[in-house]
Amino acid sequence: MKRIVYFWALIFIALSCEDAIDVDLNDSEPKLVIEATVTALVDGSSNATVRLTTTAPFFDTQIPFVDSASVLISSSDGQSYPFTYTDEGLYVNTDLNPSFGISYTLQVIYQGETYTATTTLISAVPLEFVEQRNDGGISGEDIELKAFFTDPAGVENYYFFEGLSTKGNVFDAYDDRFFDGNPIFGFYLIEDIEPGDTVLFNLHGVDEQFFNFMITLLQQSTDLSDGPFETQPATVRGNIINTTNSDNFPLGYFRISELFSLEYIVQ
Amino acid sequence: MPAFSQQIVILLFFLGSLSIYTQNKFTLSGTVSEQETGEILIGVNVLIPSLQTGAITNEYGFYSITLPEGDYQVFFSSMGYASQRIDISLTQNIEKNISLTMDMEQIDEVLIKADIEKLNIRKPQMSVNTLTINTIKQIPAVLGEVDVLKAITMLPGVTSAGEGASGFNVRGGAADQNLILLDEATLYNSSHLFGFFSVFNPDAIKDITLYKGGIPARYGGRISSVLDIYQKDGNKKQLKAKGGIGIVASRLLLEGPIKKDTASFLVGGRSSYAHLFLPLFDNDNVAFFYDLNAKVSYNLDKKNRLFLSGYFGRDVFSIADSFENSFGNTTLNLRWNHLFSEKLFSNLSLIFSDYVYGLELSIVDFDFDSGIRNLNLKYDFTHFISEKLDLRYGINSIYYKFNPGDIRPTSETSGINPFKLIDKFAFENAAYIDAEAQIAENLFIQAGLRLSTFNRLGQDELNVYANDNPILFNEALQIYQKAKPIDTLSFNRSETIKSFANLEPRFAVSYQLNETSSIKASYNRTAQYIHLISNTTSPTPFDIYAPSGKYIDPQLADQVALGYFKNFENYSLEVETFYKKVKNRLDYVDDADLIANNAVEQILLSGEARAYGLEVLFRKREGRLKGWIAYTLSKSQQRTPGRNPSEIGINNGQWYNAPWDKTHDISITGQYSFSEKWSFGANFIYQTGQPTTFPIGQYIFNDIVVPIYEARNRSRLTAFHHLDLSATWTPQPNSKKRWKSEWVFSIYNAYNRKNAASISFRENTDINRNEAVRLSIFGVIPAITYNFKF
Repeated sequence: MKRIVYFWALIFIALSCEDAIDVDLNDSEPKLVIEATVTALVDGSSNATVRLTTTAPFFDTQIPFVDSASVLISSSDGQSYPFTYTDEGLYVNTDLNPSFGISYTLQVIYQGETYTATTTLISAVPLEFVEQRNDGGISGEDIELKAFFTDPAGVENYYFFEGLSTKGNVFDAYDDRFFDGNPIFGFYLIEDIEPGDTVLFNLHGVDEQFFNFMITLLQQSTDLSDGPFETQPATVRGNIINTTNSDNFPLGYFRISELFSLEYIVQ
Repeated sequence: MPAFSQQIVILLFFLGSLSIYTQNKFTLSGTVSEQETGEILIGVNVLIPSLQTGAITNEYGFYSITLPEGDYQVFFSSMGYASQRIDISLTQNIEKNISLTMDMEQIDEVLIKADIEKLNIRKPQMSVNTLTINTIKQIPAVLGEVDVLKAITMLPGVTSAGEGASGFNVRGGAADQNLILLDEATLYNSSHLFGFFSVFNPDAIKDITLYKGGIPARYGGRISSVLDIYQKDGNKKQLKAKGGIGIVASRLLLEGPIKKDTASFLVGGRSSYAHLFLPLFDNDNVAFFYDLNAKVSYNLDKKNRLFLSGYFGRDVFSIADSFENSFGNTTLNLRWNHLFSEKLFSNLSLIFSDYVYGLELSIVDFDFDSGIRNLNLKYDFTHFISEKLDLRYGINSIYYKFNPGDIRPTSETSGINPFKLIDKFAFENAAYIDAEAQIAENLFIQAGLRLSTFNRLGQDELNVYANDNPILFNEALQIYQKAKPIDTLSFNRSETIKSFANLEPRFAVSYQLNETSSIKASYNRTAQYIHLISNTTSPTPFDIYAPSGKYIDPQLADQVALGYFKNFENYSLEVETFYKKVKNRLDYVDDADLIANNAVEQILLSGEARAYGLEVLFRKREGRLKGWIAYTLSKSQQRTPGRNPSEIGINNGQWYNAPWDKTHDISITGQYSFSEKWSFGANFIYQTGQPTTFPIGQYIFNDIVVPIYEARNRSRLTAFHHLDLSATWTPQPNSKKRWKSEWVFSIYNAYNRKNAASISFRENTDINRNEAVRLSIFGVIPAITYNFKF
């Protein structure tokens, strides 16, 4: 909702001009980035991947991969799930099928340091249907898609929403304090979308900490963080800590989400 | 004994010694107004050269001076008016009301001018600038719209966070630390349209005074500055109209007598219509503002005057059908001037003020409203005890209601639940006394004390936390997290949840070195009880005010200033240096979400701020060429260490530059009267680039490119500078017709400098590379305004 609310900043941008310029930036030492995501689908299948990369200088076009780490998830019910490297920094495990009520601990060992995080499976709700409107957006001419779901009442829920297509992706995070118990939607607006395009909508169940993490990430990466409305940016921390050397903290997050997907073909 | 009660003892001693003086004394008093309109004049110099003394008319045009029995020549003089001399034989109290006639080419006897200047350099009041509306009107402005706030940013020590920023910053202070008064009523938002225009209609304004330091005891509630603006009362002699048509906005003002010489009214309106051009940019959106100023003044009799003034302003934005936003101030005030005697002037004000912010998001089908409403009673007395002593004292009482937000679904199918953020109530009171006295032949002091209190009143559902701790520090992750309330308590409106009291000493001294120069020094402590909750570079209209209470302490500031003042032939020089320290400045944790947050105490920490600098103002007030050069060298920083050694605080507890910190700030403005038909104006502004936080790397998460950042505000944007020019053409300067007009041609940013309002770092999805994108708001903008009066 917060990002919708910054729409009005766009009038202001209409009156001004933007151009790309050269800026000299300092570069920090590379930091490890751990993107550990386990998703469980309602049909019983699941996906467990850990992508390891490092930070790179801001204007570089390549992000370095990490292929020399060891990755393991262990669960509170005594199971152990090792991850195998495939390529491009991606480590995969095909056996892990998360259950509610069990806590899972991630362990990554890289360059002699150990990184860990613990989390549980968070539920989501099904995406029910998609509503399309052809006169949306600021210009009044764009195709707007709303993917509806119904939030469970009386429980604090947080969601991570994705709208993916070859024409462009939309990411957003929601917290249900304003729509608890009601039908609500994930909003998708990409200017180049045309009838016949396919959009895959994903709704992941996440916890409050991931919600705060994602909201900040999205704010820092989008072009709505412009001018006097920008908040003071700071490098955002996730839920993974370095148990060997606490100052060398990793970036990224370890989450386990129930995932509901809905594929939609634009009319 | 404590320092301030020592001050009181010294003061009483001098009061006592001055009243022992036994020679017969009488008082000369009265009101000074403008001959043509009956408008009362503020700041008129009343001089008695034979005694080397004088007085100045107050905000209501009243003066009073007590002298020994005798014969005197008394001169009344003010910039832009012909001076007047009266001869009096002071053998009893005399009341003399004076009318001054306008004279743009005023030629004062050299003697008078020197005496006026001496009067100003003797006054202990320093760190103050007064601008008349005529001066402000001659400063070229963006889009041809005369702007009071842009004019004050041309003064030393005053800056803003950027071209698109609303609000202004004084001596390194934040935008919510300025007390903005319009006819004594407090305004909460001083700008329209993202800060491009101020809320002040220049045709309705008489006079503005900005106190940057040495803030007199009669002002309180904000710690950095006071911008005191007085509106005109309305022409008491004739019905007149005045207005202007510009490319972005137009205005019209009507004023006239209700009863000749006794009662008058003034009604003015202003509206922008630039949004009508937006369809040219393929944009069907709406962005406009409008203002309404109204006033009625009534002279009941020789000792009583009544004023009723009102202001109503709104900004409206809407995007297609999805979004509509409107916000603005409303104020209504009733004032009663009463003369208890020729030595005791009083003003009683009753003020109602309402600031509302409303948002209608039809995309998601809900309305959001928030606001702050207050009722204010002020009773101020000026007691002209003798020619060596003036006393001011009074009380001020404000009752606040804060509505942090009310969310209402607008349709049955809306997915949003109604939600009301809890209303907050508070009661702020103050009592003050201030004495301005001549201690020795060349030594003048102003010593004041203000006692302010703040009671946070009962409300529903106040959160209660374990150990009274609303914000927790997670040591493993090194981040701050919100604490969950363990309970909520409801209180009766008349109960007090928390109260604060502060003594605010205000002290200033001036020492006259010789006929034309003096040095001045001041110290003031100020307290602020309401805070703008905002973590953006400059205030946005979403930002709400929160009162101090159980989890938020009042801000306290201490400022010392030292200055040197010199008058030359036609020129004046003011050099000041200041140091300011602020305690309890709020700062926000890194991912703070402030919008519609019912528990802001869970995301804020208390920090400190400091600012120091050197200001130079070199001004020419007379002659064909008038203007000034202002230079400020300063630093403004903030720091929020952790609450104990194991916490990291914000930005690792290190000092960081405030978003409005500008190392160098040069403002040059000049107005040249070429002939009766033509006059020209120019501004040049140069400022060090605004602080900003640059990335020092990037990573990818979930297919999103994310920057990693250096320490807060460690870098700077490029330097900000622009040149503005204007030319005013009066086609028939000597016309005897009723309709008078002039054309103003202006160019803002004449050499089209692309000043960076911000630099954002992001991925360019077309080329799959990251880039730095500079946003610049105003390129070269020519404008034409047609001003008229009849």
